[in-house]
Amino acid sequence: MLEIKNLGVRYGAASPALEGVDLTVRPGECVTLLGANGSGKTSLFCALSGLIPSTGQIRFEEREIGRMRPAAIVALGIAQCPEGRQLFPDLSVEKNLRLGAYVGRRDRRGTEAALERVCTLFPDVRDKLRSPAGALSGGQQQMVAIGRALMARPKLLLLDEPSLGLAPKLVEATLDAVAEINRAGTMVLLAEQNAYAALSIAHRGYVLANGRVVLEGSASALQQNELVKKAFIGA
Amino acid sequence: MHLFFQELLNGLVVGSLYALVALGLALVYGTMQIPNFAHGHLYMLGAYVAFFGVTVAHVGYWPAMLLAIVVLALVGVVLERLVFRPLRNAPEVNTIIAAVGVLFFLQTLAQVWFGGDYRVFPTPYDKVVHFAGLVATQQQLIVIAAAAVLMVALFWFLKRTLTGATIEAVAQNRAGAALVGIDPNRVSMMVFAISAGLAAAAATLIASISLISPSMGFTVILKAFAIIVLGGMGSVPGAIIGAYILAFAESFGGTYISSNYQDAIAFGVLVLILTFKPTGLFAKGT
Ligand SMILES: Nc1ncnc2c1ncn2[C@@H]1O[C@H](COP(=O)(O)OP(=O)(O)O)[C@@H](O)[C@H]1O
Ligand SMILES: [Mg+2]
Repeated sequence: MLEIKNLGVRYGAASPALEGVDLTVRPGECVTLLGANGSGKTSLFCALSGLIPSTGQIRFEEREIGRMRPAAIVALGIAQCPEGRQLFPDLSVEKNLRLGAYVGRRDRRGTEAALERVCTLFPDVRDKLRSPAGALSGGQQQMVAIGRALMARPKLLLLDEPSLGLAPKLVEATLDAVAEINRAGTMVLLAEQNAYAALSIAHRGYVLANGRVVLEGSASALQQNELVKKAFIGA
Repeated sequence: MHLFFQELLNGLVVGSLYALVALGLALVYGTMQIPNFAHGHLYMLGAYVAFFGVTVAHVGYWPAMLLAIVVLALVGVVLERLVFRPLRNAPEVNTIIAAVGVLFFLQTLAQVWFGGDYRVFPTPYDKVVHFAGLVATQQQLIVIAAAAVLMVALFWFLKRTLTGATIEAVAQNRAGAALVGIDPNRVSMMVFAISAGLAAAAATLIASISLISPSMGFTVILKAFAIIVLGGMGSVPGAIIGAYILAFAESFGGTYISSNYQDAIAFGVLVLILTFKPTGLFAKGT
């Protein structure tokens, strides 16, 4: 279980990118974080992964992780599939995936099992294991990026706009895969601008605006909400 | 024909030296975009460590080389930690100035500690080997073979081990590497250690063929930079191929055209290649 209380992030002297954010992901949940460009989704994810300093509390399974280093956070079970994928373009897909299991590298069997699981979830990836990751199509690269995060065998998976730049059909396939990962027991926190698609697979959601949570509720309640409809679904 | 093979041998010896030095420079540049102008002076320091290992501590040639590698690897780590890491997010010109500063610091240190004299590095491998009418010293053959072994070992490490893969991962995407739990700072230290260690090995290998002095780093660093530009900034195979191209251009150009213009011919070849391939032989990415 992830519990964030009063989270703040500030870059330099500018007005804070995040302020007073409270957010929870309970065991088994898929939670979506909605918000327009610049609302603070990526900052929240970077703070969670320990890439940028933050104020407030971030508790994961009863441990304060706000000041931990990225490697320690991954080892505790939080893996991120970042915005823009951040793959290693000249390395083979297989090496990208194996590096995803870096913190668990001593557990050889677990790594092989995770690799098999990723290949089963994304059959396209299995065919491309030897290609350089940078040579793949955008949709396939997204699968590799999600796969790389799964290789860490996380308890909580953070996905930062996985549908960005993908054709509608691929968006659906990607989010189906996310739903499947969640059904298998992994908690998911999914940042999206594509609210319609995200709410169709999430249990609950939060709406960020200018670094603050302005709305939260169940997925169905948010789907009906006028503000969400107007801001994101374009109804 | 005889002359041709003799020059081939010389080219291989000098190419092996250039390759080991340029590789370290390319690794550091490729992973951290640091143009380490002090690299030639790490090479010089390595030569002195091995020299004192052999002449003062009497530890023998190979142990002295090992000692030089270990000491220089530590120097590399300290350099990364104290000088280059604090400049990680500073403008590139600051990094360049820092590297040049380290160069002059090491140069002065060597002048004061070791004196400016040229010194002869004693080698136990000074016998001459005759083979099919060709003449080589044992040391020349050792340089070629040891460089080949080190390069194969480095390739194996980079391509076949997960720790080696973390170097390429950090080079290609530092943020991505941090996200999978690789500590980019530790990788940077490791790369500096390998880079300086290779320079020390190169210096120990070649020291007994040429002489050692506090300024021996200057020519080598110029050539190593030319090589990594030719190879494609930061490319490891590019550094190796570029090293042998430069060395052969020097040895053959010096023999068949004019020994006075040896360096001019060699750099002329580089300029010519760069005219057709401006980003170098193995340019990375886009
Ligand atoms: N590295 C940075 N330096 C300075 N400001 C930043 C940086 N990253 C993001 N910001 C600012 O923080 C705010 C939130 O950005 P971000 O977290 O990227 O939002 P989102 O992911 O929702 O688009 C924006 O105003 C953005 O300009
Ligand atoms: Mg973002």
